[in-house]
Amino acid sequence: MNSLHVATSVADAIAALADRGDGGAPLAGATWIMRAPIRKEQHPRSYVALAKIDELQRVELLHDYLSIGACVTHARLAAALAPLPEFRALAVAAGSSANPAIRQMATIGGNLCAAGFAAADLVPALICLDAQIELAMPGESTRVSVEAFLTMRTDLPHGCLVRRVMVPRTTYRSDHVRLTLRKGGDYPVVIVSLAAELGSTGVVKSARVAIGSVETTARRWEKFERLLIGHPLDPADVTEKATLCADELHGREGVEAPGWYRIKVLPSLVGRAVRNIRGQC
Amino acid sequence: MPLHLTVNDEDRVSVRDPLTPLVDVLRDEFFLTGAKIVCREGFCGACTVWVDGRPVVSCLLPVGLAVDCKIHTVESLSTNGDLSVLQKAFEDHDAVQCGMCFPGMLMTLTSFLDREPRATREEIKAALVGNVCRCTGYERIVDAAFSLASAG
Repeated sequence: MNSLHVATSVADAIAALADRGDGGAPLAGATWIMRAPIRKEQHPRSYVALAKIDELQRVELLHDYLSIGACVTHARLAAALAPLPEFRALAVAAGSSANPAIRQMATIGGNLCAAGFAAADLVPALICLDAQIELAMPGESTRVSVEAFLTMRTDLPHGCLVRRVMVPRTTYRSDHVRLTLRKGGDYPVVIVSLAAELGSTGVVKSARVAIGSVETTARRWEKFERLLIGHPLDPADVTEKATLCADELHGREGVEAPGWYRIKVLPSLVGRAVRNIRGQC
Repeated sequence: MPLHLTVNDEDRVSVRDPLTPLVDVLRDEFFLTGAKIVCREGFCGACTVWVDGRPVVSCLLPVGLAVDCKIHTVESLSTNGDLSVLQKAFEDHDAVQCGMCFPGMLMTLTSFLDREPRATREEIKAALVGNVCRCTGYERIVDAAFSLASAG
């Protein structure tokens, strides 16, 4: 029988995880972990459930940033962001991932920690919005960028957990575009999250572009970003530039789509994201 | 350790492993067989129940996380043997075919129509993206839901 410790506070969860060492793992919305047997993965001996910790359920709009507790579900996040256009990429990601019932269960912390889930919608959206992750661990807490977290998430020290995600408030315009094989209720084969700061003449002053589901882990696409700076956001132009930059990508093979297909359709999605952002102006 | 649950407003106790999917406890221990086991991946929606009023897929919810929550299954929709308005609409529109998907469809749509009583056909279809009908009887299911929305 597996054991499940339902933590009542972050301190309780940290202590329980530290105590369990390699035999324990945190459990948030459970939608990824409950499918472990299908992936032929073993459960650890013990899980520490985070869902009952009030602090991890909060969404707070502060002066400089938006603070999102690790156990905020996609549905709650989408509802909270609906009146906040400055976080549009994240709002679209949270409101369109998987299907409505999964969105009621899956959490932002779970999306970030599911290392085997290449099609997680929130991850590229958070990268493009330059989010930081606050990690809590025994006796301290630390902040890391989402990109840094993705490189360390399978090797976190015992007792470490994602406490909250902090998304800076900016004047960037952003959007999140995804390609699914069905119209809805499906995981995307390609995700593009794009945020751009535009000057008064409509020229791009700075940009952050992230892609998900194309490779095994979501990533920032800096080579492409550099080509956007100093130019207007023209859908045809950026589609061409994305095509030129796509040769550095390594398409992920999957039963739903081959790697070459993901790379082939990516520039079109970039163009779509740019059209959407222009529509916000 | 026994797990104390509230299912359809009744106190229940499960002795299963806390990681057991809620749907297995509902069906195998409590004999509430309305929620169906089909994909076990959260894609088909046949196991949809309400947890604290929200429709969730019970195949992906560990029963240990359902403790202290209010769980409602499709068996709770009728009152004293009288069908709910949506169940009646399903019957009137001949929406039920093989019987696998419609309990989940009812749980999703009842909750959705409570929130969006004047929903359009497109909104109803969007609400159903997580409920798969293997008989492809979608149009009559949407017709049934829309008959209530348009009558509202």
